Amino acid sequence: MNIREKILVVEDEKGIAQFIAAVLDGQGYETIQARTGAEGLSMISSHCPDLVILDLGLPDMDGLDILRQLRSWSSLPVVVVSARSHERDKVTALDQGADDYLTKPFGTAELLARVRTAIRHTRTASGNDEIAQKGTYSVGELVIDYNKHQVLVRGENVKLTLSEFRIVALLGKHAGKVLTYDAIIKELWGPRAGSGNQILRVNMANIRRKIERNPAEPEYLFTEVGVGYRLAEGE
Amino acid sequence: MTFRKPWASPLFPVSRRDFLITAVILLCAVGLCFILWLAGSIDGFAAPVFVLAVLLISRLTRGYLYGSISVILGVIFVNFIFTYPYWAFDFHNPGYPLTFFTLLMISLITSTLTAQAKRQAQLLAENEREKMRANLLRSVSHDIRTPLTSIVGSTSAVLENPGLSEREQRELLENAREEAQWLIRVVENLLSITRMGDAQARIAKEPEPAEEVLGTAAQKFRRRFPQVSVTVSAPEELLMVPMDPILIEQVLANLLENAAVHGRAANIALLLEAEEDFAKITVRDDGRGISRDELDHLFDGRLKSRRPADGDGKRNMGLGLSVCRAIVLAHGGSIAARNLLRGAELSFRLPTAVPALQEVST
Repeated sequence: MNIREKILVVEDEKGIAQFIAAVLDGQGYETIQARTGAEGLSMISSHCPDLVILDLGLPDMDGLDILRQLRSWSSLPVVVVSARSHERDKVTALDQGADDYLTKPFGTAELLARVRTAIRHTRTASGNDEIAQKGTYSVGELVIDYNKHQVLVRGENVKLTLSEFRIVALLGKHAGKVLTYDAIIKELWGPRAGSGNQILRVNMANIRRKIERNPAEPEYLFTEVGVGYRLAEGE
Repeated sequence: MTFRKPWASPLFPVSRRDFLITAVILLCAVGLCFILWLAGSIDGFAAPVFVLAVLLISRLTRGYLYGSISVILGVIFVNFIFTYPYWAFDFHNPGYPLTFFTLLMISLITSTLTAQAKRQAQLLAENEREKMRANLLRSVSHDIRTPLTSIVGSTSAVLENPGLSEREQRELLENAREEAQWLIRVVENLLSITRMGDAQARIAKEPEPAEEVLGTAAQKFRRRFPQVSVTVSAPEELLMVPMDPILIEQVLANLLENAAVHGRAANIALLLEAEEDFAKITVRDDGRGISRDELDHLFDGRLKSRRPADGDGKRNMGLGLSVCRAIVLAHGGSIAARNLLRGAELSFRLPTAVPALQEVST
């Protein structure tokens, strides 16, 4: 029998916690629930879950504080849940080490996709099985070759500049996960790259023009409006 | 509210702009009279010239200060320079107090009328905002009550009637889910309104690649309406548009949904075009178009939900479209709708240039 992945749901709204648990149970995950931040933190150390779904709006503690405390001793994957009106919180949570986010209201398909991706990324150190084994990442007709430093689309070598390749390579390593504009800029241009994200946005537009059939209808490089970019993940 | 310097009373406000207006108009009047004087036909004409000058100054400046100053100067000019004896005061003529009095009255009445007109315009704008809020509330209450009734009804029916067949149960639950999704969209529109606040200045605009917002809106729309086909086209050259991307995404979501639900469109085209100082975004569909009386009230929130024979009366598009309008206006843009031979076209423009005032620092 397979060992079932254990997921801790930290959510004060009973209705939402139950619905999340029901969906995850139905997909063969084992779920445990916490109603407060304090309870959540103690359950993380006692139950050692494989993933935490953390609501940012808890009654007793700020969700970001919980994340910060957790990140001081653990790299356990965390998917934060926030309301749409709090864009800043979402970006802050991601920049402080959350692995992904769900915006209320979210559907079951979205929930499962985020959970699957977050768990998959913890299995291998480099973040992706394929990159670890073959040195490539492929999704659909896109192949990122990390050894040869090239990107192939529909079998053809795409001429990317160095910056463009590094952006695609970075997104490939975290395929399926959203990376904030700031996170990408810090990773590629260093922490003192300044606060504007215009260079990144223009670079991305150029990459899309080289990779996507229609840059306005991307198949691979998605925008999370107000947050960052996400590379498609193969199933 | 307009900002007032503490030392300027509202009746006699001091401003450089008003001072310049006063100076220019008085100089023109003096110049004109001087020409007439040189031509030797000044007698009897100086007074009307200054009446006109005083009238203009009182109309164009705020408060009573500049009008009153121009009255005094006008009387001095007319009396001292442009009436016989030239370059000398002459107060013996009983007509002069009358001239002074007439000019003063013209100035005071004009200033008062000007102030009243301004106040009325302000009241009208406030009224308009109040009306929009009232319409919004009415529209929202309706938009919320109907689906809630349906959700409570459907779920109660499932819970209280164990004898229902699985198919019937499923239908009721699907119905409840669809209504709840509709509610989500209503709430998202309300959130957009709170995000905008009251003042235009509160919108946080950043240059965004417009194609990204269009692409994301289309992608989300496809997930919700997989049966409707959407194509997006954007110019080859990247178009950066200053905007709050979350709000513009909401506009696109509303327009797309409107085309699908109201227009019953099977195909929607989402277009981005660059104009001189604007980015034009168009949502074009091949649906059943917009009726004549709907077209008139499309964006003002006064659209009554329709309850015609085709039975989708609960889908009130009033809220969504008035939110679209409010968002676009707050961005300094404009929105318009028209019917095509087949289907409808809703388009909005967003300014691409940074306003000159912000660029040129004084």
